[in-house]
Parts: sequence; structure tokens; C-alpha cells
Amino acid sequence: MCDQTFLVNVFGSCDNCFKQRALRTVFKKSQQLSYCSICAEIMAADGLHENETLASLKSEAESLKGKLEEERAKLHDVELHQVAERVEALGQFVMKTRRTLKGHGNKVLCMDWCKDKRRIVSSSQDGKVIVWDSFTTNKEHAVTMPCTWVMACAYAPSGCAIACGGLDNKCSVYPLTFDKNENMAAKKKSVAMHTNYLSACSFTNSDMQILTASGDGTCALWDVESGQLLQSFHGHGADVLCLDLAPSETGNTFVSGGCDKKAMVWDMRSGQCVQAFETHESDINSVRYYPSGDAFASGSDDATCRLYDLRADREVAIYSKESIIFGASSVDFSLSGRLLFAGYNDYTINVWDVLKGSRVSILFGHENRVSTLRVSPDGTAFCSGSWDHTLRVWA
Amino acid sequence: MKEGMSSNSTMSISQARRAVEQLKMEACMDRVKVSQAAADLLAYCEAHVREDPLIIPVPASENPFREKKFFCTIL
Repeated sequence: MCDQTFLVNVFGSCDNCFKQRALRTVFKKSQQLSYCSICAEIMAADGLHENETLASLKSEAESLKGKLEEERAKLHDVELHQVAERVEALGQFVMKTRRTLKGHGNKVLCMDWCKDKRRIVSSSQDGKVIVWDSFTTNKEHAVTMPCTWVMACAYAPSGCAIACGGLDNKCSVYPLTFDKNENMAAKKKSVAMHTNYLSACSFTNSDMQILTASGDGTCALWDVESGQLLQSFHGHGADVLCLDLAPSETGNTFVSGGCDKKAMVWDMRSGQCVQAFETHESDINSVRYYPSGDAFASGSDDATCRLYDLRADREVAIYSKESIIFGASSVDFSLSGRLLFAGYNDYTINVWDVLKGSRVSILFGHENRVSTLRVSPDGTAFCSGSWDHTLRVWA
Repeated sequence: MKEGMSSNSTMSISQARRAVEQLKMEACMDRVKVSQAAADLLAYCEAHVREDPLIIPVPASENPFREKKFFCTIL
């Protein structure tokens, strides 16, 4: 639980100031150098260098973009669904609502599973955050936040705490206690402070750090104990709506999606964006890594879900149908990555065959928009939360 | 792609330089062919599909959500 995931790996002597700092790559007159973040910022803010004008920088950016597209296109030798033709088709699916969790007084906005595969935390527009036992549908804990629209909530890996936030611009951590005499709200700890609403939060591999995304266009990594900002991630041109951490075996990266239609992959240690994808036609509401960590899926207001492969550095599949015209609010993969569950604003959940690109099933049940969806940690079920005030567990 | 690039006045020098730096870094990346990446995604799926309870359903007795019995706790 106490293992530090935040390790400064790219660490050494800055080429400019020679101090021992975390380093990032910069280009000075086409030479590749390693600068610390302070020197990199100073260099970026410098006045124009010789032979540089704003126009020349812009045209350089345009030509680099063109070159990037060319490089990516060269490797586009086949489509995923073509490679997947030899895979057996999936059989008929019988998935039904097995549990309905009722108790929220208003729209359910977010939910998360506990690692024990049984408990669920959910948050809603009325400011309430509830912890449920999904087997029995009993409510185990409830706390009322001082703000409405609690848009993000997360369960700590240990199962001993939850984090939540929304219009209060903060992410707060509440330790969970079974002591009837203790007031949960009294032990609240404010960890993150943004300058706009909190849209998503997630603990890293331990209870010690939290990653947040905000309407202020940034993501940030915080130390829970001290509330200190460990790293911030700038690059989105508009509100960041979602984030997902890479599965632990594949390293310290995470992906975020925002209202600027971009999905960006970040290195948690250096704070740099390592890859960016801009093929969606509207806000990206949800991003989720493929279980192997080599790809991620996104759900957007443009009514499509897309799969991006990180090593091929491009979009490899689109999950859409002419009949689907409402935005996808939330996506998640099944355990093997073969199925993609997506909740839509037309009250339905579509189940997609990730490899073949076809829809295998459509699930009805909710009476309003599906706002959040997560598969349980052992893959036996998935839970969806909706604006109809309920959560449903499907299996 | 077009944000920040359309109007001359809003893009400051540092933003433009940062954008160029970012693109240079992204251009240097090592990429693999889609056929290779797709094959790896398929391989991962095939290796794990047997353990996926939503594709190969486990017997109802082992799936706590599909079980018919109701859970009661002894207080």
C-alpha cells in the first residue's frame, strides 16, 4: 500500500543550469537537449530567436503535423476488423439487470467498484455519496457533500477510503469507518484544489496519491497525506472530462479526454504529454485503457466510441451505427478486452465486439441517460449509473 | 488541430514554440504497423477470453450476481 508510484526516473543534470532535476527533452536549433522544467519554461518564454517569427513557428508546426500524419499513414497497412476476421464470432448474450440500487435522490453521476469486487461507491447531483454492498443492495455508508453535482468519485485500493468532488472544485478523501458513533464528514480531508469543477478522480496504485481532472483544463497528481501538488499536466485546450490510469504492469502513464476533442496520454513523472489523438468530432466523455495497456477506448458526444492503439499511434476502430445518434457518456472493457460496454444518452447500453467492430447486444432498463459505467474488478458483472437516480448491476 | 492556429493575435510566442517542441517530440516516436498492433490485441484477447466471466459464463453457483439465493447476514 505504501509503495511510491511517483518516482522521478528521468533525473539528472540539466543541460542549462546543471542542477539535479527531473528532465524533459527540448529542441534548441534542432539539437536535442535535456532541460529541467524551469529552464524549459524559460526557454519557451524567451523572445524570438534569430530567423524566427511567429509565422515561421506556425508554419513549422503545420509542417510537423503534416509529417506526423504521413508517418502514421505509412503504418496503416490493414484494418483491425480485417485482422479479426479469423476470430470466432461471439455467441448470443444474455445479460440482465441482477441488482438495482435505489436510494439516490437525484441523477447518479459517477460510480466506482471497490477491489473486493463487491462494494460500490456512487455520487449524485444532490450532493450525496453512497457506498453500497452490491450483493445485498444494502447501503453501508452515506455522506452529504457541501456542494451539488458530485461528478467524480473513486474507491481507494485498500477499500478503506473514498474520494469525491465536483462543483466545489476540490477532491476530498473520506476514510470509511464502521464505527456508528463516528461522523464520516468530520474526518474529511481536502486534497486537490482546482480553479474549476472536478470532473474525474482516481487513486493511483496506492491510497497515497490521487490523480484528478478538472474543468480548468488541467489534470493533477496530489499527495493525499499532505495535500501537496506533485505534478500538473497542461495541454488540453478546454475542460478535461475524464481520465484513466494505465494498468499497473505497463508503467506510469494515464490518458485523459476533454472538450477539445483530444485524448492525450501523459507521463506521470515528467508531466509531459507523450501522445495526442484528435479524431473525435465532439467532447470526449470517457476514456478507458484496454486491459493489456497497449490501447484505449473513448466515448464521445459525437455518438461514436473509438479504439486507439498506443504503439501504432493511431485510431484503429470506430464503434458506431447510423441509428445511434446520442452521445456515449461512459465506456469500459470486459476482462479479456473482447467486449466494450458503452452507456449512452439515449438510455441504452450498447455492447460492442472490440475486434470485429460490430454491436453484439443492446441493453435496455434505465429510464434516463446512462451517465457512468464500470466493469467489476473480477469481470463477473458491470454496474451502470443513470440520471434515473438508480444504479444497475448487470451480469 | 485548428485551435490556436487560426488567429494570429491569440497565439503567443511561447505557446507556438511549445507546440513546435511537442510536435517534434511526437514525430520522433517509434511506431509499429497496424497489422502488428492488431495481432497483439487479438493475441491478448484470445489468451484471456476463457477467464472472462461475461463471455464464458461461470456456473451460476459461482457468480454471486447470478445466484438465485438471497444474501442474509446473521446479526
